[in-house]
Amino acid sequence: MDVLVQLLLNGIMLGSMYAIIAVGLTLIFGIVRVVNFAHGEFLMIGMYATYLLATKLGWHPYVSAVPVVLLLFCIGALVQRFIIQKLLNADEHIQIFATVGLSTALVNLALMIFGADLYSVSAPSARQSVPLGGYTVLSGQLVILACALALVAGLHLFMQRTPLGRAIRATAQNRNAALLMGVRVDRIYIISFGLGAACVGLASALVTPLFPVTPTIGSYFVLTAFVVVVLGGMRSMYGAFLGAMIIGIVDSLSGYYIAPDLKEVVYFAIFILILIFKPTGLFGFGRGTE
Amino acid sequence: MSHHTASQTATAAPVAIARPSRLSALTHPRVYVALILLSLLLIIPAMSGSPFVIHVFVTICVFAGLSTAWNIVGGYAGQLSLGHMVFYGIGAYTTALLIQHFGLTPWIGMWAGAALSAVVAVCIGFPCFRLRGPFFALATIAFLEVIRLLAIHFHGVTGGSAGLIVPLKLGWTWMIFQDKFNYLIIAFGLLLLTLIVSWAIRNARLGYYLTAVREREDAASAAGISPTEVKLKAVVVSAALTSLIGSFHAMYTTFLEPATMFSLATSIEIAMFSLIGGLGTVLGPLLGTVLVVPIAEAARGWLGASANGLHGFVYGTVLVLITLTLPGGLVGTFGATVGRWVDRLPGGRSRPEPEAPALRQITGAAGETMLLTRNLTMRFGGLLATDNVSMLLKRGEILGIIGPNGAGKTTLFNQISGFLKPSSGSLAIVSGGQETTPSSADAFARAGIGRTFQIVQPFGKLTVIENIMIGAFMRHPDVASARAVALRVSTLVGLHQLCEVEARNLPIGDLKRLEVARTLATEPDILLLDEVMAGQSQADTQKMVELIRAVRDSGVTVIAIEHNMQAIMSLSDRIIVIDSGKVIAEGDPQAVVRDRRVIEAYLGEDFANAQGL
Repeated sequence: MDVLVQLLLNGIMLGSMYAIIAVGLTLIFGIVRVVNFAHGEFLMIGMYATYLLATKLGWHPYVSAVPVVLLLFCIGALVQRFIIQKLLNADEHIQIFATVGLSTALVNLALMIFGADLYSVSAPSARQSVPLGGYTVLSGQLVILACALALVAGLHLFMQRTPLGRAIRATAQNRNAALLMGVRVDRIYIISFGLGAACVGLASALVTPLFPVTPTIGSYFVLTAFVVVVLGGMRSMYGAFLGAMIIGIVDSLSGYYIAPDLKEVVYFAIFILILIFKPTGLFGFGRGTE
Repeated sequence: MSHHTASQTATAAPVAIARPSRLSALTHPRVYVALILLSLLLIIPAMSGSPFVIHVFVTICVFAGLSTAWNIVGGYAGQLSLGHMVFYGIGAYTTALLIQHFGLTPWIGMWAGAALSAVVAVCIGFPCFRLRGPFFALATIAFLEVIRLLAIHFHGVTGGSAGLIVPLKLGWTWMIFQDKFNYLIIAFGLLLLTLIVSWAIRNARLGYYLTAVREREDAASAAGISPTEVKLKAVVVSAALTSLIGSFHAMYTTFLEPATMFSLATSIEIAMFSLIGGLGTVLGPLLGTVLVVPIAEAARGWLGASANGLHGFVYGTVLVLITLTLPGGLVGTFGATVGRWVDRLPGGRSRPEPEAPALRQITGAAGETMLLTRNLTMRFGGLLATDNVSMLLKRGEILGIIGPNGAGKTTLFNQISGFLKPSSGSLAIVSGGQETTPSSADAFARAGIGRTFQIVQPFGKLTVIENIMIGAFMRHPDVASARAVALRVSTLVGLHQLCEVEARNLPIGDLKRLEVARTLATEPDILLLDEVMAGQSQADTQKMVELIRAVRDSGVTVIAIEHNMQAIMSLSDRIIVIDSGKVIAEGDPQAVVRDRRVIEAYLGEDFANAQGL
């Protein structure tokens, strides 16, 4: 029983990290309707940026979060402006190839610059054990959980209460109708893509104290984030949040009860089953085959 | 048994297709130019003799083969698999393990691997083909990851992450050589096999069917094509070929580890070569590989370890640039021009157009029931789109269906052509006293119910004649006869002068006629026409009326939905009026137009009162 509770706690901590990444992915897919295969590489860029700020300037990763979020927002906006925007009316496979190509280029660019070595940032304040009624979590994990909750709440308020948020929701629901109502759809897409990338920026600053960075770190996290997004119904950030918690818990439990090296097999199997049998996601928030 | 299936699919296709004068094809300039250029892949390394050059050419042949095989699924069928290395890895491990444990020569082992890959391909393809673009790609990545992780986990069998070394026994039996040129001969042979299969599919019914399904699945179903079936055929052939090449490549590298055998990066590279060369073209994948691989290999050779990541960076950048500048790929963009240059070379090319096969004879007594529906009801949420519709169709008649917009006419059509399953009620095709209800839209088409779509569904990138051929293939699997049938139909509907125009360039009137032509080419017993006169000029409407009469006189029974009252009244033997999903009137045209309920439905109660009806 004790083990189970500890595992559930670990799962929720892990899930909140996936949640931040997956919310970003959902924003991009839900609004721009493009599946961003380079999402993981955005995370990788953010982590290297955090690492550089920590080693060259001695910044704590949590302080770096601000510039890294801004950096990733800009990268996302540029990618949208100069690549995706030009392909919005292209065949779907061309869009897929564009982000897949971007992903390949970025991974290998990192490999050329940093090599295949692992780099880690030492931030003891993020690795302190926090007792929690007989169980323990790391302080850094609690920060991630808090940030994930704050992110979803903040985005909720932004989408519901601000004119820009309303314009974004309108564009997501019907691009042409929004265009006819005078919404500058191109600009909305640039902002949305930037926001999606900014979420990853936040995630990268938060996970750098806990995970070492390598050129391929992105695909490790983002394949899981895709599982989360599909589980959550593709277009809903609340679905993505719940999906992330489920995958975090599945990860934690299957790593313990089945085999540590088969936990990915378990949630990829869930992923495939959901795609095939319930493409609207577990909670029916969206549609995968549409 | 599974072994048998795979080898059959991989080899049977070319034999069936190349039937008309196989050798005379060699005198066609495009064929001999392609063969001469291909032979350079052997001649250049033979002349150079350098082991590095031979290695580069083996790599080119292997990746060109993988990419060509991928293109059958990714290009022809438009299913973007990013996990194709699954089949490569399965081939490699099967072959290596069969040598290790059973002393079986790789020449047999590779076919066992191909068979296993074909089975796995069906298991992955069948559930995943319903997924749309990016989600299909993600699902294939997920399968690749699962199999890679399983290969690591079951290290007792596969050697796990540490890897597996192929037993090194020299000689042709064991496919291990000291002279590297022998590897090149095998790699070239496999590439040639893959290209021939790919070419054969492209030029056979399957190739046309795959294009049709890729472009518009609904229209393909209406032409009697089962989308799942043709996609499965494509993926089985593709998987088997990929697996054969994987088996060979394992013998060449002599070392297997899950990370390279089931590599996502390599899966992406294979797809990338196709995109650069031209998706869905026969020679595109080869061209893409020939252009990109030597650069990457040379960079690796010159710069060594310091170039770590360079070739991947170049690949990724090229991929993004191609999507932005040349989405059709090299062959897709320049292929037609180069093809015309090549055609100027001497050689035999013109083949006599074959005679169109005789029209299918439709037998049966006029007036007998052909199709009947009992209480057809279709609910969309709270809306009753058709409400207890019972009707029957008699052989040889023209039945008009009219009703205001939103009355449920097209929904009725969708049910009697199998595109929608009724919420309740039933329908049956009656033939010789037997009632049958096909289970899918394509089965309805094959049972003799041909339909057009109100919102036209042309295969935009195919020419007019190819569009019509898609329909003709249903009863004439052979390309030459399908073409002849299509030509005949194009003349009948007045599209013969536009045969070589791509359908996306046609105006709406011609597209409506193309809908009719494609459906007529399936030689249906019952023809369902959904507003084919909309968008036609007065003169064209008259021609369409004459065409429909001529079709009926050839024995076909017709149901037409139409808003053009004048045309439908003069054409129909009988009219059914539908309003709010219900049949409100039925009878001969003169009686129906005077029916009070019909006038109310069209013009309102007030008008009916004012007319004193």
